[in-house]
Amino acid sequence: MHKTTLEKANSAESMFSVSALNVKNKKTQKLYSVLFLMMTLLLILPVLVILGTLIVKGGSMISIDFLFTDPVNGMTEGGVFPALLGTVWLVSLALLVSVPLGIAAAIYLSEYASDNWFTRIINLAIINLAGVPSIVHALFGLGAFVMFFGFGTSILAASLTLAIMTLPVVIVSTRESLQAVPHAFREACWNMGATRWQTIRRVVLPNAVSGILTGVILEVSRTTGETAPIMFTGAAFFLPFLPQGIFDQTMALSLHLFVVSTQVPNVPEALPYAVALVLIGMVLLMNSVSIALRMYLRGQKKW
Amino acid sequence: MNKKQILGSCILISGLGLLSLSSSVSARTVIQNKGSDTLVNVAQAWAEEYRNVDKDVAIAVSGGGSGTGIAAMINGTVDIANASRSMKGKEIKLAKSKGQNPIQHIVGYDALSVFLHKDNPSDTLSFAQLKEIFGRDGKAVKWSDLGLKVPGCKQDKIVVVSRQNNSGTYAFFKKAVLGKKGKFRQGTLDMHGSKDVVDLVEKTPCAIGYSGLAYANDHIKMSCVAQEAGKPCVNPSVATASDRSYPIARPLFMYTNGEPKGEIKKYLDWIMSDKGQCILLKKGYAPAKDVKCD
Repeated sequence: MHKTTLEKANSAESMFSVSALNVKNKKTQKLYSVLFLMMTLLLILPVLVILGTLIVKGGSMISIDFLFTDPVNGMTEGGVFPALLGTVWLVSLALLVSVPLGIAAAIYLSEYASDNWFTRIINLAIINLAGVPSIVHALFGLGAFVMFFGFGTSILAASLTLAIMTLPVVIVSTRESLQAVPHAFREACWNMGATRWQTIRRVVLPNAVSGILTGVILEVSRTTGETAPIMFTGAAFFLPFLPQGIFDQTMALSLHLFVVSTQVPNVPEALPYAVALVLIGMVLLMNSVSIALRMYLRGQKKW
Repeated sequence: MNKKQILGSCILISGLGLLSLSSSVSARTVIQNKGSDTLVNVAQAWAEEYRNVDKDVAIAVSGGGSGTGIAAMINGTVDIANASRSMKGKEIKLAKSKGQNPIQHIVGYDALSVFLHKDNPSDTLSFAQLKEIFGRDGKAVKWSDLGLKVPGCKQDKIVVVSRQNNSGTYAFFKKAVLGKKGKFRQGTLDMHGSKDVVDLVEKTPCAIGYSGLAYANDHIKMSCVAQEAGKPCVNPSVATASDRSYPIARPLFMYTNGEPKGEIKKYLDWIMSDKGQCILLKKGYAPAKDVKCD
């Protein structure tokens, strides 16, 4: 009897005092949290190093003049305006095509289509399309848009190629965000007598818009930096004029970066870095605008 | 996406469409010029300058290599194709079968230079030696095989830098140095541009490569080339390319579809004028005719 109370007291004591096992657990806990923190920091490191290098080496060349003047003297001096403008043309036209198409397809797949062999094949095709290398898209664009449809090497052909390349990602991300809207929302809406389309427009889409924007953001960044698809279909080494329509060729920042860093001799060392900085700056700018928009829209969300 | 946004994008699309219509009505002529990486920088300089000659004509320049330019000529997607080699009989036949009639114009000459690292002690290389270095069954795999000791090259192995196989520079070097049936050695580093070759050789003590004279800079060495061992060698330069005394000088071509007419003829005539040829000379190539430049 006496023994058992003593044992009880002992165990109660050990419950509140720190045992060797507790200390060990705490140590491993700390070790892993530090380890994973280091991993996370390691991920940010390349970004910082890249940005830092670009700013240190090319920052001195960046000015308003650099952004808004033509390249001169064999593209070793002057600015990047035609390339900058060209990239804006290409990306906006590509998004104009791929975003409405992609969203429409995603709405069909997520809201209307039933799960049968046909939609399963479509889904499989979309996933595979997303994995096609950009150089293959480039050759497809060359064959289809430049030659078969006869658009020639033009902004239109290049943008359509980019649009096809970005379509799968837009579809997949839109479908995911549509499916993230709870099914109960739809049912509630149908029970009020709303049609399918009314439900999609008034309930599903407004609730999914932030997710859809995420997909579009990703695509803006990707299309801005893409070089291979536009090299064959619409971007030129040098153009002495600004594009005036979608059947003109254009210069583009990504190709311009490739050209000044590998093709043109006697380029001042800072120039390629400055072009890269403009390219990255443009992507970051577009991303932050979309992220701000997304945060605003998410703030409006009611769940 | 609400109704307004959809409507907005529709308006934007139709706006862009209208914009393109209006531009196709404008009088500006665009000449498509594509091909050789050797010529691309001089083609760019011509296009840049031609803006001041005729404002209504714009020259769109793209690179990609002689093979790219010639393929575009065969497919009829360019007005002028640049090439640092002549079109093969097979290619001309193919072009003709597609209704194209490629006409060749020589616009200048280039000395194809053999580049070495600055510390490389070699001054002279004969065709026979180049064959041993670059050729398929060549015996020179180490610098010591040529009796050289290259400072900074610890492994002694020769790093052979070549070009991708649709390059005109590649084709010309192969034919001129390795012979008609010759093949490049396996395991060469094939670069995708004339400038890439120079950049790599400049940084690699063990390396040897070839590229157009125009891509030379102060940090790299150009070998003196002798056609036969023992004979006096010739240094690559604009002068030796002009008088063809340099053994691997080559003509640079522009191809048009049929005899040039209208704006294309005007442009080619301007290229062959003193002004155009002086731009070529300034870029480090030899002019196709005697010119006096300031």
